[in-house]
Amino acid sequence: MRIILFFVFVTASTAACVKGNPESQGDDEFTDTGGTLAIEGCSYSVTTRLGAEPPRNASLTVGDDPTPRLVHLGIMGDPKTSIVAQWRTVDETTRATKIRFAAGASLTADQLTEEATGIEFGYKATGSIIYRMHQAHLCGLTAGTTYSYQVGSDGHFSPVYSFRTAPDVVANPDAEVLFGVVGDSRDGYDIWSQLVTQLEQRSPDLILFTGDAVTIGLTQFEWEEFFGRAESLFARVPMIFAHGNHEVNAVAYYSQIALPGDQENFGFDYGHAHITVANDTPDDIGAITGAYRDAIATDFEASKDARWSVFMHHQPIFSAATAHGSSLFLQQNWQPLVDQYSIDLVIAGHDHDFEVSKPMIGQAPQVSNANATVYVVVGGAGAELYDSDTLFHTAYSEKTHSASTLRVRRDLLELEGFRPDGTAIAAPGARFSKTK
Amino acid sequence: MISRLAAALVVIAIAGVAVADPEADADRAFRAASQRAAAGDPEALAMFEALGAARPLTRWTDDAWAEAARVAERTGDFARARRALDQVIALGTDDALVRRARHARDRLMAATGGGQWDALAREHHRLVAEVFGGGDPQAALEALEQLARDNPTYPQAAMALLAAAQGWEHEGETSRGIALLRAALAISGTERPRIALALTRALIRHGELDEAGKQLDELVASPGADRAAIAELREKLDTAGRRAGIRKLLWSLLVVIAGIAVGVLRREAGSWRRAARLIARPPLEVVFLIPVGAVLAVVAQTGNPLVAKAVVAIVLAGIFVAWISGALLEARRARRGRIGASRALVQAVLAVAVVAGAAYLAIDRDRLLDLVGETWEHGPVPR
Repeated sequence: MRIILFFVFVTASTAACVKGNPESQGDDEFTDTGGTLAIEGCSYSVTTRLGAEPPRNASLTVGDDPTPRLVHLGIMGDPKTSIVAQWRTVDETTRATKIRFAAGASLTADQLTEEATGIEFGYKATGSIIYRMHQAHLCGLTAGTTYSYQVGSDGHFSPVYSFRTAPDVVANPDAEVLFGVVGDSRDGYDIWSQLVTQLEQRSPDLILFTGDAVTIGLTQFEWEEFFGRAESLFARVPMIFAHGNHEVNAVAYYSQIALPGDQENFGFDYGHAHITVANDTPDDIGAITGAYRDAIATDFEASKDARWSVFMHHQPIFSAATAHGSSLFLQQNWQPLVDQYSIDLVIAGHDHDFEVSKPMIGQAPQVSNANATVYVVVGGAGAELYDSDTLFHTAYSEKTHSASTLRVRRDLLELEGFRPDGTAIAAPGARFSKTK
Repeated sequence: MISRLAAALVVIAIAGVAVADPEADADRAFRAASQRAAAGDPEALAMFEALGAARPLTRWTDDAWAEAARVAERTGDFARARRALDQVIALGTDDALVRRARHARDRLMAATGGGQWDALAREHHRLVAEVFGGGDPQAALEALEQLARDNPTYPQAAMALLAAAQGWEHEGETSRGIALLRAALAISGTERPRIALALTRALIRHGELDEAGKQLDELVASPGADRAAIAELREKLDTAGRRAGIRKLLWSLLVVIAGIAVGVLRREAGSWRRAARLIARPPLEVVFLIPVGAVLAVVAQTGNPLVAKAVVAIVLAGIFVAWISGALLEARRARRGRIGASRALVQAVLAVAVVAGAAYLAIDRDRLLDLVGETWEHGPVPR
């Protein structure tokens, strides 16, 4: 398939990069109004929030040290054909934003024959420092294909990384996809590093993060640790994030993580699965029973014919941990939808342990998961652990740091947890497995 | 007649070709084996292997070997898992599957010392599953500890000790857990930083703050130290130190106030015998307070268990303070006929201080204080 480059191509005839202070070179002053920019060729727009600048097509301005850092991938469109590369630079003033890429694994920089420019915007976390995000959107890619890429600006590119687009399961019904499922890293930096290593060893296609990457979403240094420790993974594997209560709907969160739709409630297909994601701690808590509930219902309805349905949000509908436990509010407001659409698997975090529920319909545990929903809690990516208990809905619970893999095949949906030392959480009831 | 026979043969041949569709057969076989594997049937491994070995190659061949490797690893048959992974690498047409197989093979090779420690790794993983899988883990913990101690050159010996340490800590055997973490540190190689951090965390959790401080100082001095993790632990250590100081101060105050209360009661009552009689009879305020406290305690049981425990502790402290305070006022009234406003005020302030102190001590358990702080900062979670 022909590659569509959706920003202005930089040609050799373009003026040389501008060095120095961007403000003195005619770039706009910082405005924190947020804004929207349609991404040409990608059939979606990037919207920034209050506290961030409106996104704009990158200029050629280069700061004192434009070395790219904290490279990470995201998804805003169809994961079969698109990807978003995001990064910052050491100097935070560089505005030049380029991606060089080509189809093929482990290519050298010289073999990256395609080039496109991206967009950039600044945001403030706390205080007056402006952090500048760079995004390069690639659309029109080929499904199930490995691409190599590097990001940055002329003379200052990142190492070459590679990623793989989601497979086309119509053409390849045997395609297996593997999701890394993890959440609640917060300030457990070393545990987070260990789990990242374990996740890398399992070669996931996509990371599903259940929220609470940091202790407070406003504090930039925590985000630096989160992304910095996972750069080798996130530069190769896109991440989908469910907003957690500790992200506090901060502009730093929405600015650094590219997600589909409004970044809060959205759905997308990946392999044989449809993933629905929702924010269960919105600024207006009433939205849980209104607009957000409606958004979930709409996505469930639109994807009701999906082979496998997975729902991810932060606060568990069923949990036996002693710290938070089940969210009765979500049981009342969201679980009826889960039951109505017979969602196969619901993934959450919030409680810092690992739990797998019995197959549930309403408050009643079922013998078989054929028409019921299993709820898992994967909240052990680093934050201090909570005691876990065993309640009427519990199939397995363990007070442990952990991450999980979720394997999706045409006939199989299977989740398996593992600890930071790599040992599988393999006791009876600990593995979710469903066949169709 | 001959032409009819020939036509019939052609039809049969065409039908035969249509029936013998290797892709469709493989698809069916893969589906059947997947269902067996999901149900935990050990026969699934042989079914996947047979499908992988079948010829001609189909789109399901590499998938079958990948599944065989997974099932074999789960059953602890690491050699068979490696062989299956080799087949995925050799025959795979899906580059993601092949990449995953390479990583899985590398991981297995590292965990088993290239196959040299297969049996021990199998036992290690079995024991870890038993330790954390519910039921009484004591025997498995003993065995896991022994396995690591008997085989210090086993590549995962330190990690086995780490798991055993965590298991003993879960069982409430803190000292044994910490001792095992020290043992793990002694034999660790590349895992040393993570074990040192785990040891420091355990020391902080269990109030051995001086030791934790020393351990952190050693970590800071070690090459390639994880600065952010150390800073995070330093903050936790400082917080734990502050909280320990507050606890000590509060307990001292409570003991002093209790001593004063007993002394005053004895003085006002005139004798220990009368004081005991006053204490034995519940004051009127306690009679009213007990049903209110009971309702609070029962309602709290329907919510968060940590909060429920704290509520019960605070209610008991409140009733205890009201009882002693009531007895003191009763004794004072019996002796002097009236209670001055200043005296009543002092007693009320002390009673409130004691209840506040007891409330703090009640929530400074099981990390409930952190949850209260979280709620304070981020607002209540809708339930």
